[in-house]
Amino acid sequence: MSRKKETYVYSSLMERFALEWKIYVLAFIFILIADSIGQIKIPVGKGMFILFPIFYAIILGVMCGPQVLKIVESKHVKAASKLVVVGICPFIAKLGITAGANIDTILSAGPALLFHGFGNLLGPILALPVAILLGMKREAVGACHSINREYHMALINNIYGSDSAEARGSLSIYIVGGMVGTIYFGLMASVIGSIGWFHPRALGLASGVGAGIMMASASASLCAIYPEMAETISAMASVGETMAGITGIYITMFLAIPMCDKLYTILEPKLGKFALRSAKDTLREKK
Amino acid sequence: MRYIEWFVLFIIGACGTGLANLIGYGVPFLDSVPGLAVMLVISMAGVFLSKIVPLKLPILAYCSIIGLLSACPVSPIRSFVIQAVSAINFTAPFTMVGAFAGLAISDQLKTFVSQGWKILIVGIFVMTGTFLGSCLWDQMILTLVGAI
Repeated sequence: MSRKKETYVYSSLMERFALEWKIYVLAFIFILIADSIGQIKIPVGKGMFILFPIFYAIILGVMCGPQVLKIVESKHVKAASKLVVVGICPFIAKLGITAGANIDTILSAGPALLFHGFGNLLGPILALPVAILLGMKREAVGACHSINREYHMALINNIYGSDSAEARGSLSIYIVGGMVGTIYFGLMASVIGSIGWFHPRALGLASGVGAGIMMASASASLCAIYPEMAETISAMASVGETMAGITGIYITMFLAIPMCDKLYTILEPKLGKFALRSAKDTLREKK
Repeated sequence: MRYIEWFVLFIIGACGTGLANLIGYGVPFLDSVPGLAVMLVISMAGVFLSKIVPLKLPILAYCSIIGLLSACPVSPIRSFVIQAVSAINFTAPFTMVGAFAGLAISDQLKTFVSQGWKILIVGIFVMTGTFLGSCLWDQMILTLVGAI
């Protein structure tokens, strides 16, 4: 094997424990609290909002952070972000098993699965005009091209440079996604799922947007709305997410970013003049 | 991370999932053990493959594919695998992920608040467009191939 030798964060397992035990203990306490509360369903018109224990766990986590209750320090925060993938691997494995168990459902969708992922492009089309009207400049290209998870951000940094306006925009949506993404995807899926426009199978597939935790949140909501279709929904979500993991980077690189960039050069001159200006800009122009 | 680190962390994760399954859904811990073990083995296999296969796929893609293969009709352990994980509730592994994710973003709270409402609105539009676009598109392609 000619692979580069991996560098390790900790010199030993004990050293990892010495730092991270606090995170593990907190996680278990959060589970005790969050799962005791359990799911809460709030009827809204025809549909409903569903609150999941994961939402409470996220909020408890943020509260314990160095900027609120200061129970954990920055070094713990850094360590925790590496642990997210550890937590989500077994979950994805379980989803894969559901997909395998329902392989007929998946095979019946056949070639359609290969094309899943292009629907994500509605994101930039919808968001870019809004961003321009709100007064964003080149930041808008980075902000709107996708849901801005790690690999999207890496691409933007790679293409425009890490000190570019585009990279700043990408980072800000990355932060928004981290703060509200999981909760928002759960709520949004419960609303869009319950209006009845879409088949549960399409909804399941669509949950695979290229961010494991958002897919999980959306599909959990959908399963709660269509309990009799839960197996199908999670099987489709699993395949959708796997496809998005494979094709997503190419769709972002060759379609989403160039399209968003082009759209910006077309829309900015037209919409830019109606854009909201911050008080500072108006002051500067008066002088 | 070393294999031993992954392994121990997966065990901690499995305990968390078992706990959530007990508290949230009343499944006795021992009933969860076979399912947790299956999930742990698949996750470890995913980690192993991601280290040795030169393709740059995320670990999650490997976990998902191995899970699928282990439960598909040609797999000799199919019925055991499916039965074992059926004890684990869909959202049980999820609370722990939320705990880690919440802690991981806790130092961005001030940045998040200071960015203000404009960024939040743009973010909401990006997420809504992405999901709604996927729904429309997937509904269309599934209809075209006659799957729905």
